[in-house]
Amino acid sequence: MIKSPSRALAVLAAVAGLSFAGAAGQADAHHAFAAEFDGNAPVLLRGTVTKVQWINPHAWVHVAVPKAGGGTVVWMVEGGTPNTLLRSGLTRDSLKPGTAIIVRGYQSKDKACAPACKANGRDVTFTDGRRVFMGSSGTGAPKDGADPTERRP
Amino acid sequence: MLDDFVAWLATTPGSIALHESLYMYAIVETIHVVAITLFVGTIAMIDLRVLGLALGRVPVSQVLRRLLPWTVLGFVILIITGALLFYAIPERTFHSLWFRAKMLLLVLAGINVWRFHRAYGLSPGDWDMGPAPARARFSAMASLALWIGVIFFGRFIAYNWFDCDKPQPAFISAVSACRNFTP
Repeated sequence: MIKSPSRALAVLAAVAGLSFAGAAGQADAHHAFAAEFDGNAPVLLRGTVTKVQWINPHAWVHVAVPKAGGGTVVWMVEGGTPNTLLRSGLTRDSLKPGTAIIVRGYQSKDKACAPACKANGRDVTFTDGRRVFMGSSGTGAPKDGADPTERRP
Repeated sequence: MLDDFVAWLATTPGSIALHESLYMYAIVETIHVVAITLFVGTIAMIDLRVLGLALGRVPVSQVLRRLLPWTVLGFVILIITGALLFYAIPERTFHSLWFRAKMLLLVLAGINVWRFHRAYGLSPGDWDMGPAPARARFSAMASLALWIGVIFFGRFIAYNWFDCDKPQPAFISAVSACRNFTP
Protein backbone atom coordinates (compact mmCIF):
# COMPACT_ATOMS: atom_id res chain seq x y z
CA MET A 1 0.00 0.00 0.00
CA ILE A 2 1.01 3.66 0.22
CA LYS A 3 3.91 4.03 2.64
CA SER A 4 5.35 7.50 2.07
CA PRO A 5 3.97 10.99 1.44
CA SER A 6 5.76 11.24 -1.90
CA ARG A 7 4.17 8.01 -3.14
CA ALA A 8 0.78 9.22 -1.93
CA LEU A 9 1.32 12.43 -3.92
CA ALA A 10 2.29 10.45 -7.00
CA VAL A 11 -0.90 8.37 -6.76
CA LEU A 12 -2.97 11.53 -6.26
CA ALA A 13 -1.37 13.15 -9.30
CA ALA A 14 -2.08 10.07 -11.41
CA VAL A 15 -5.72 10.00 -10.31
CA ALA A 16 -6.09 13.73 -10.97
CA GLY A 17 -4.57 13.31 -14.43
CA LEU A 18 -6.96 10.51 -15.28
CA SER A 19 -9.95 12.54 -14.06
CA PHE A 20 -8.93 15.49 -16.22
CA ALA A 21 -8.62 13.19 -19.20
CA GLY A 22 -12.10 11.87 -18.51
CA ALA A 23 -13.57 15.32 -17.87
CA ALA A 24 -12.22 16.71 -21.14
CA GLY A 25 -14.54 14.47 -23.11
CA GLN A 26 -17.55 15.03 -20.91
CA ALA A 27 -17.47 18.68 -19.77
CA ASP A 28 -20.34 19.40 -17.43
CA ALA A 29 -23.07 17.90 -19.56
CA HIS A 30 -25.82 15.93 -17.96
CA HIS A 31 -25.26 13.19 -20.44
CA ALA A 32 -23.12 12.82 -23.51
CA PHE A 33 -24.70 13.72 -26.85
CA ALA A 34 -23.48 10.55 -28.52
CA ALA A 35 -25.22 8.31 -25.97
CA GLU A 36 -28.66 9.17 -27.32
CA PHE A 37 -28.33 11.19 -30.53
CA ASP A 38 -26.88 10.60 -33.98
CA GLY A 39 -24.49 13.35 -35.12
CA ASN A 40 -24.78 12.01 -38.69
CA ALA A 41 -28.55 12.47 -38.79
CA PRO A 42 -29.16 16.24 -38.91
CA VAL A 43 -32.80 17.32 -39.10
CA LEU A 44 -34.42 20.60 -40.06
CA LEU A 45 -37.88 20.86 -38.55
CA ARG A 46 -40.31 23.52 -39.76
CA GLY A 47 -43.50 23.53 -37.71
CA THR A 48 -45.45 24.90 -34.79
CA VAL A 49 -44.93 24.44 -31.07
CA THR A 50 -47.59 22.21 -29.49
CA LYS A 51 -46.17 21.92 -25.99
CA VAL A 52 -43.06 22.71 -23.97
CA GLN A 53 -42.01 20.63 -20.98
CA TRP A 54 -39.82 22.84 -18.78
CA ILE A 55 -38.11 19.90 -17.16
CA ASN A 56 -34.74 19.54 -15.51
CA PRO A 57 -32.28 18.31 -16.58
CA HIS A 58 -33.56 18.70 -20.17
CA ALA A 59 -36.51 20.65 -21.51
CA TRP A 60 -38.54 19.14 -24.35
CA VAL A 61 -40.13 21.25 -27.08
CA HIS A 62 -42.90 19.43 -28.96
CA VAL A 63 -43.17 20.55 -32.58
CA ALA A 64 -45.88 19.54 -35.05
CA VAL A 65 -44.24 19.31 -38.46
CA PRO A 66 -46.52 19.17 -41.54
CA LYS A 67 -45.89 16.19 -43.82
CA ALA A 68 -45.59 16.49 -47.58
CA GLY A 69 -48.64 14.35 -48.24
CA GLY A 70 -50.77 16.01 -45.57
CA GLY A 71 -51.03 15.46 -41.81
CA THR A 72 -48.34 16.19 -39.26
CA VAL A 73 -45.53 14.41 -37.45
CA VAL A 74 -44.83 15.32 -33.83
CA TRP A 75 -41.17 15.81 -32.99
CA MET A 76 -39.95 15.99 -29.39
CA VAL A 77 -36.87 18.18 -29.37
CA GLU A 78 -34.54 18.02 -26.40
CA GLY A 79 -33.06 21.32 -25.23
CA GLY A 80 -30.88 22.45 -22.35
CA THR A 81 -32.04 22.94 -18.77
CA PRO A 82 -34.74 25.55 -18.08
CA ASN A 83 -31.95 27.75 -16.70
CA THR A 84 -29.80 27.34 -19.84
CA LEU A 85 -32.75 28.18 -22.08
CA LEU A 86 -33.58 31.29 -20.07
CA ARG A 87 -29.98 32.47 -20.36
CA SER A 88 -30.08 31.93 -24.12
CA GLY A 89 -33.24 34.01 -24.27
CA LEU A 90 -35.94 31.37 -24.51
CA THR A 91 -38.91 31.71 -22.15
CA ARG A 92 -42.40 30.29 -21.84
CA ASP A 93 -43.64 33.33 -23.71
CA SER A 94 -41.31 32.86 -26.66
CA LEU A 95 -42.33 29.22 -27.11
CA LYS A 96 -46.09 29.36 -26.60
CA PRO A 97 -48.16 26.65 -28.30
CA GLY A 98 -48.88 27.75 -31.85
CA THR A 99 -45.59 29.58 -32.31
CA ALA A 100 -44.06 28.91 -35.74
CA ILE A 101 -40.42 27.86 -35.44
CA ILE A 102 -37.62 26.20 -37.36
CA VAL A 103 -35.45 23.85 -35.34
CA ARG A 104 -32.05 22.55 -36.38
CA GLY A 105 -30.93 19.43 -34.59
CA TYR A 106 -29.97 15.78 -34.75
CA GLN A 107 -32.30 12.81 -34.61
CA SER A 108 -32.15 10.26 -31.81
CA LYS A 109 -30.15 7.09 -32.45
CA ASP A 110 -33.34 5.08 -32.44
CA LYS A 111 -35.26 6.22 -35.49
CA ALA A 112 -38.41 4.61 -34.12
CA CYS A 113 -40.52 7.80 -34.21
CA ALA A 114 -42.93 6.13 -31.78
CA PRO A 115 -44.92 7.58 -30.23
CA ALA A 116 -43.07 10.72 -31.38
CA CYS A 117 -39.86 11.39 -33.28
CA LYS A 118 -37.06 12.62 -31.05
CA ALA A 119 -34.20 14.96 -31.73
CA ASN A 120 -31.58 16.98 -29.92
CA GLY A 121 -32.20 20.64 -30.67
CA ARG A 122 -29.28 22.87 -31.60
CA ASP A 123 -30.98 26.14 -32.38
CA VAL A 124 -34.42 27.55 -32.97
CA THR A 125 -35.31 30.24 -35.50
CA PHE A 126 -38.39 32.44 -35.15
CA THR A 127 -40.43 34.02 -37.93
CA ASP A 128 -38.73 37.38 -37.29
CA GLY A 129 -35.39 35.75 -38.16
CA ARG A 130 -34.12 35.60 -34.57
CA ARG A 131 -32.01 32.47 -34.09
CA VAL A 132 -31.37 31.20 -30.54
CA PHE A 133 -29.13 28.38 -29.33
CA MET A 134 -31.27 25.86 -27.47
CA GLY A 135 -28.77 23.15 -26.52
CA SER A 136 -26.15 22.79 -23.80
CA SER A 137 -22.46 23.45 -24.31
CA GLY A 138 -19.89 20.71 -23.97
CA THR A 139 -22.13 17.73 -24.65
CA GLY A 140 -19.98 16.50 -27.51
CA ALA A 141 -22.58 17.46 -30.12
CA PRO A 142 -21.17 18.20 -33.61
CA LYS A 143 -19.45 21.60 -33.82
CA ASP A 144 -21.94 23.06 -36.27
CA GLY A 145 -21.70 26.69 -35.25
CA ALA A 146 -25.01 26.66 -33.37
CA ASP A 147 -23.35 27.07 -29.96
CA PRO A 148 -22.17 30.68 -29.54
CA THR A 149 -19.56 29.66 -26.94
CA GLU A 150 -17.78 27.61 -29.60
CA ARG A 151 -17.26 30.68 -31.77
CA ARG A 152 -15.25 32.52 -29.13
CA PRO A 153 -11.47 32.42 -29.65
CA MET B 1 -51.91 1.35 -7.11
CA LEU B 2 -48.34 2.53 -6.69
CA ASP B 3 -48.51 3.67 -10.34
CA ASP B 4 -51.53 5.82 -9.53
CA PHE B 5 -49.83 7.34 -6.51
CA VAL B 6 -46.72 8.18 -8.56
CA ALA B 7 -48.90 9.65 -11.32
CA TRP B 8 -50.67 11.82 -8.73
CA LEU B 9 -47.31 12.83 -7.23
CA ALA B 10 -46.27 14.19 -10.64
CA THR B 11 -49.27 16.55 -10.67
CA THR B 12 -48.50 18.16 -7.28
CA PRO B 13 -47.25 21.76 -7.33
CA GLY B 14 -44.04 20.88 -5.46
CA SER B 15 -43.05 18.32 -8.07
CA ILE B 16 -43.69 20.74 -10.93
CA ALA B 17 -41.85 23.57 -9.16
CA LEU B 18 -38.85 21.30 -8.57
CA HIS B 19 -38.51 19.98 -12.13
CA GLU B 20 -39.10 23.42 -13.62
CA SER B 21 -36.75 25.17 -11.19
CA LEU B 22 -33.86 27.27 -12.42
CA TYR B 23 -31.46 26.29 -9.63
CA MET B 24 -33.07 23.99 -7.06
CA TYR B 25 -32.90 20.79 -9.12
CA ALA B 26 -29.19 21.25 -9.81
CA ILE B 27 -28.52 22.11 -6.15
CA VAL B 28 -30.36 19.03 -4.87
CA GLU B 29 -28.59 16.84 -7.44
CA THR B 30 -25.19 18.23 -6.44
CA ILE B 31 -25.83 17.68 -2.72
CA HIS B 32 -26.91 14.12 -3.53
CA VAL B 33 -23.65 13.44 -5.35
CA VAL B 34 -21.51 15.06 -2.63
CA ALA B 35 -23.33 12.97 0.01
CA ILE B 36 -22.47 9.83 -1.99
CA THR B 37 -18.77 10.59 -1.47
CA LEU B 38 -19.32 10.83 2.31
CA PHE B 39 -21.54 7.75 2.50
CA VAL B 40 -19.74 5.35 0.18
CA GLY B 41 -16.32 6.82 1.05
CA THR B 42 -16.65 5.95 4.74
CA ILE B 43 -18.21 2.58 3.89
CA ALA B 44 -15.29 1.81 1.59
CA MET B 45 -12.77 2.57 4.37
CA ILE B 46 -14.63 0.24 6.76
CA ASP B 47 -14.80 -2.50 4.12
CA LEU B 48 -11.11 -2.09 3.26
CA ARG B 49 -10.25 -2.30 6.96
CA VAL B 50 -12.24 -5.52 7.35
CA LEU B 51 -10.48 -6.90 4.26
CA GLY B 52 -7.14 -5.96 5.84
CA LEU B 53 -6.24 -3.53 3.04
CA ALA B 54 -6.39 -0.21 4.93
CA LEU B 55 -5.97 1.21 8.46
CA GLY B 56 -4.29 -2.05 9.45
CA ARG B 57 -3.15 -0.90 12.90
CA VAL B 58 -6.52 0.54 13.96
CA PRO B 59 -8.94 -1.87 15.68
CA VAL B 60 -12.05 -2.61 13.58
CA SER B 61 -14.24 -1.48 16.48
CA GLN B 62 -12.48 1.92 16.44
CA VAL B 63 -12.91 2.26 12.67
CA LEU B 64 -16.61 1.45 12.99
CA ARG B 65 -17.14 3.80 15.91
CA ARG B 66 -15.34 6.73 14.30
CA LEU B 67 -16.57 6.38 10.73
CA LEU B 68 -20.15 5.09 11.04
CA PRO B 69 -21.59 8.38 12.38
CA TRP B 70 -20.40 10.01 9.14
CA THR B 71 -21.87 7.15 7.12
CA VAL B 72 -25.23 7.70 8.84
CA LEU B 73 -25.06 11.46 8.20
CA GLY B 74 -24.33 10.77 4.53
CA PHE B 75 -27.24 8.32 4.40
CA VAL B 76 -29.72 10.81 5.87
CA ILE B 77 -28.68 13.46 3.32
CA LEU B 78 -28.90 10.87 0.52
CA ILE B 79 -32.42 9.78 1.50
CA ILE B 80 -33.68 13.38 1.69
CA THR B 81 -32.09 14.54 -1.58
CA GLY B 82 -32.88 11.23 -3.30
CA ALA B 83 -36.54 11.52 -2.33
CA LEU B 84 -36.57 15.08 -3.71
CA LEU B 85 -35.01 13.97 -7.01
CA PHE B 86 -37.66 11.25 -7.28
CA TYR B 87 -40.37 13.76 -6.37
CA ALA B 88 -39.17 16.10 -9.14
CA ILE B 89 -39.63 13.45 -11.88
CA PRO B 90 -41.80 10.74 -10.30
CA GLU B 91 -43.29 8.84 -13.24
CA ARG B 92 -40.30 8.54 -15.53
CA THR B 93 -38.12 7.56 -12.56
CA PHE B 94 -40.56 5.02 -11.17
CA HIS B 95 -40.84 3.36 -14.59
CA SER B 96 -37.09 3.45 -15.22
CA LEU B 97 -35.31 0.12 -15.55
CA TRP B 98 -32.16 1.69 -14.06
CA PHE B 99 -34.05 3.03 -11.06
CA ARG B 100 -35.63 -0.37 -10.41
CA ALA B 101 -32.24 -2.08 -10.63
CA LYS B 102 -30.85 0.52 -8.23
CA MET B 103 -33.64 -0.09 -5.71
CA LEU B 104 -33.05 -3.84 -5.92
CA LEU B 105 -29.33 -3.42 -5.18
CA LEU B 106 -30.19 -0.93 -2.42
CA VAL B 107 -32.34 -3.57 -0.70
CA LEU B 108 -29.60 -6.21 -1.09
CA ALA B 109 -27.00 -3.76 0.28
CA GLY B 110 -29.31 -3.05 3.23
CA ILE B 111 -29.70 -6.76 3.99
CA ASN B 112 -25.90 -7.07 3.85
CA VAL B 113 -25.50 -4.22 6.37
CA TRP B 114 -28.11 -5.79 8.64
CA ARG B 115 -26.44 -9.22 8.50
CA PHE B 116 -23.00 -7.78 9.28
CA HIS B 117 -24.20 -5.82 12.29
CA ARG B 118 -26.40 -8.65 13.55
CA ALA B 119 -23.33 -10.87 13.59
CA TYR B 120 -20.76 -8.41 14.93
CA GLY B 121 -22.59 -5.34 16.22
CA LEU B 122 -20.15 -2.45 16.47
CA SER B 123 -17.33 -4.54 17.86
CA PRO B 124 -16.09 -7.77 16.29
CA GLY B 125 -14.43 -8.91 19.56
CA ASP B 126 -11.98 -11.70 18.78
CA TRP B 127 -10.85 -10.39 15.39
CA ASP B 128 -10.75 -6.68 16.30
CA MET B 129 -7.05 -6.57 15.37
CA GLY B 130 -6.52 -9.83 13.53
CA PRO B 131 -7.67 -11.17 10.18
CA ALA B 132 -11.43 -11.09 9.71
CA PRO B 133 -13.35 -14.37 9.31
CA ALA B 134 -14.48 -15.36 5.83
CA ARG B 135 -18.07 -14.31 6.50
CA ALA B 136 -17.03 -10.76 7.44
CA ARG B 137 -14.72 -10.52 4.44
CA PHE B 138 -17.48 -11.72 2.13
CA SER B 139 -19.78 -9.08 3.63
CA ALA B 140 -17.15 -6.37 3.03
CA MET B 141 -16.67 -7.41 -0.59
CA ALA B 142 -20.42 -7.63 -1.16
CA SER B 143 -20.78 -4.16 0.39
CA LEU B 144 -18.22 -2.64 -1.99
CA ALA B 145 -19.76 -4.32 -5.02
CA LEU B 146 -23.36 -3.50 -4.11
CA TRP B 147 -22.78 0.18 -3.27
CA ILE B 148 -20.74 0.68 -6.44
CA GLY B 149 -23.63 -0.97 -8.29
CA VAL B 150 -26.10 1.39 -6.65
CA ILE B 151 -24.04 4.40 -7.84
CA PHE B 152 -23.70 2.89 -11.32
CA PHE B 153 -27.41 2.31 -11.82
CA GLY B 154 -28.26 5.64 -10.20
CA ARG B 155 -26.09 7.45 -12.71
CA PHE B 156 -27.69 5.64 -15.62
CA ILE B 157 -31.20 6.78 -14.69
CA ALA B 158 -30.23 9.90 -16.67
CA TYR B 159 -30.08 7.92 -19.92
CA ASN B 160 -33.28 7.21 -21.85
CA TRP B 161 -32.21 4.00 -23.64
CA PHE B 162 -34.82 1.89 -21.84
CA ASP B 163 -37.47 4.55 -21.20
CA CYS B 164 -41.12 3.67 -21.62
CA ASP B 165 -41.62 6.53 -24.11
CA LYS B 166 -40.28 4.47 -27.00
CA PRO B 167 -40.74 0.89 -28.17
CA GLN B 168 -38.94 -1.56 -25.87
CA PRO B 169 -38.47 -5.33 -25.84
CA ALA B 170 -41.20 -7.12 -23.91
CA PHE B 171 -38.88 -7.98 -21.04
CA ILE B 172 -37.85 -4.38 -20.38
CA SER B 173 -41.39 -3.18 -20.85
CA ALA B 174 -42.63 -5.71 -18.27
CA VAL B 175 -39.92 -5.01 -15.69
CA SER B 176 -40.53 -1.25 -15.97
CA ALA B 177 -44.33 -1.72 -15.91
CA CYS B 178 -44.55 0.45 -19.03
CA ARG B 179 -48.21 -0.41 -19.67
CA ASN B 180 -49.15 1.62 -16.57
CA PHE B 181 -47.35 4.72 -17.85
CA THR B 182 -48.25 6.85 -20.85
CA PRO B 183 -45.62 9.61 -21.11
